[in-house]
Formats: sequence, C-alpha cells, structure tokens
Amino acid sequence: MAGRAQIPTNNSSLIAMIADEDTVTGFLLAGVGNVDLRRKTNYLIVDSKTTVKAIEDAFKEFTAKEDIAIILISQYVANMIRFLVDSYNKPVPAILEIPSKDHPYDPSHDSVLSRVKYLFSAESVASERR
Amino acid sequence: MEEQDSETQSSGSGGEEETLKLEPEGLRHDVEDQHVLQFLDSLDGYITLMDSLSLTLRQGWLELASARHSMGASRVNSALLNLKFHSASTSLQVTRNDVDSEANEANFTLCKWASSNSGHSSAGEKFREDKLQTKHDSPDLRHRSKSQFSDETSVQSGASLVADDHVQRERSKSLSVFGTLVSPKLRAAQLSFETALEMLVEIANTRSTMLSAFNRVKKGLEDIKS
Repeated sequence: MAGRAQIPTNNSSLIAMIADEDTVTGFLLAGVGNVDLRRKTNYLIVDSKTTVKAIEDAFKEFTAKEDIAIILISQYVANMIRFLVDSYNKPVPAILEIPSKDHPYDPSHDSVLSRVKYLFSAESVASERR
Repeated sequence: MEEQDSETQSSGSGGEEETLKLEPEGLRHDVEDQHVLQFLDSLDGYITLMDSLSLTLRQGWLELASARHSMGASRVNSALLNLKFHSASTSLQVTRNDVDSEANEANFTLCKWASSNSGHSSAGEKFREDKLQTKHDSPDLRHRSKSQFSDETSVQSGASLVADDHVQRERSKSLSVFGTLVSPKLRAAQLSFETALEMLVEIANTRSTMLSAFNRVKKGLEDIKS
C-alpha cells in the first residue's frame, strides 16, 4: 500500500517467558534463553512456590523492557494477574497466552479475544446501528 | 408540460446529485466491509493457530517427559539451566507499519539459531537471507545460461550447507546444558519447541493484524454513530 512506512524498531529482540518449568525448558532448548550482564534472565519459571507479586513484577519488568518483543505467558499464570494482563494494550511487546500441560487453552479467557468479542455482542451491534 | 419537464429535469439532476452522494458512501461501506472481512479472517486464523500450537506443545511436553524418563529427572530439570551471561540464539526482528496512529501494526520475524555473539550478521540469519534471495532470484534464473545457473546453484547449496552446519552446532550447544550424550527424545523435543516457536511468531503477526483491523472496524462504527 502506498504511504505505508516500514519502521524497524529493533535489530534483535527477545522472547520473554512466564510459564511452568517444562514449557520454559522446552523453549530454552529452542534457543530463546538470554542472560544479561546483571544475570537477569528473560524468563520466570512459575511453580507452586511462586508468589503472585513475583509474577506481577516479572510481567511489569518484561513489558517495560525495550528489547523484548513477545512475552509468552501460560494462561493459568495470566489468570492470576488477569487485571494486569487485560489492562495492557500496547502492540509491542505482544502478550501471547499459551496453554500449559495441566491447563488447556481457553479462548474465553484470552485477553485479546475478550477485547474483540464485544463486536459480536448483539446489543453493541444493535445500538451502533440505531 | 413545461412545468412537468422542469420538474423532471430537477428530479433528474437531484437524482444525479443523490447518486454522487451515494458513491462515496458506497466506497466507505466497501472499505468497512473489507476491514470486517480482514478482522474475521485474522480472528479465524488466530484461533486455528492456537489449536495447532496446543497440539505441538503437547507433543513437545511428551517428548520432554520421555527424555526425563530415559535420562533421569536429575539430568533434565531447570537447575541445570545456564545462568552465565549469554545472548539468545533465537531472536526476533520487529517492523512496524506506521499507516496511522490507530492501526499501529507490528510485524515479527523469527531469526532462528543466529550466532550467540551479538552485533554480527550470523550464519543463522544469513541462512534465512540466502533462502529469501533464492526465492526472489528464481524467476530471473530461468533466463540465464545453464552454466551460470549450475554455478549459482552450487554456490547457494554450499552456503546452505555452511548454514546447516552452523544451525546444528547451535542446536548441540543448546542441548549440551543437559550433558554431552542426550536422549533422542530430547532432540525431538527441541525440534517440537522450535516448531512451536515458529507458530507463536505467526500467532503474534495474526494477533497484530486482528487488532489493527478491529481498531479500524471500531472506528468505522463510531463514525456511523456520530
């Protein structure tokens, strides 16, 4: 399309993860693990001892970093910080809710689908047409 | 008679004006329909890709569990993860389509198994560029002589072999965290999660398109309301 400018925002961006051990291990095998000079990682492994505050802090930290383009978060973890996830609306980093071993993906909880589903509400469509 | 003629003329000219008024309206509806279709297509793509991702991840988890079973739980766990300074071998490139402030569509490209040395063009990325270059050059290659063609293909196959070697080395480096000799199931799990990563990048792009189309549709509805 004419006039559409492609702006490269970053030469090389990372994928961050907030998920269970197996999911993080699997993606680390695929080479997405990054440890910076301050020994900070681009992932948080969530287990039974992980507090909601720790998850919130990790989410806020990853969304604030400019070198992170995608954040993978297990949906059951996202449900623990649902308010924070749903209130986030920037295009980058993109928040992708993924299933985990014990919690299959539920489209009704997905924050992106929740945002767009109001278009399918009969009331909202009818009120716009009046 | 003249009055009727003048009435007919005025209604005719009014009809033309109405047609002219309707044409931009018609165009606007076409554009809105296009946005709605784009939104619905990307929504369908998003849900389909999430289903595929679930299947791929399930396979990866199963393979990881099998590897843990054959190698032992102490050899496949998060305590072994490398916490020394190192850059990610697999990263992303992000471009934004700055059509307008509402659209703000981002496009993600996966760079698999680039060198872990940052700041240099790596064999992993070069592999992708060579592949793309091959795709773009293929129509022109048809018009060249056979000898040139065979030279170029041998150079390209040589380059791809080098890139393959590099990718294999990076994969082995990643697996070496869990020991020198690893179960084939762990290698299989690595490939499954690589596939999952490719799907996730596709999902991210589809998500971006969907949100961009959604914003346009929402704006269209607000315009109708106002």
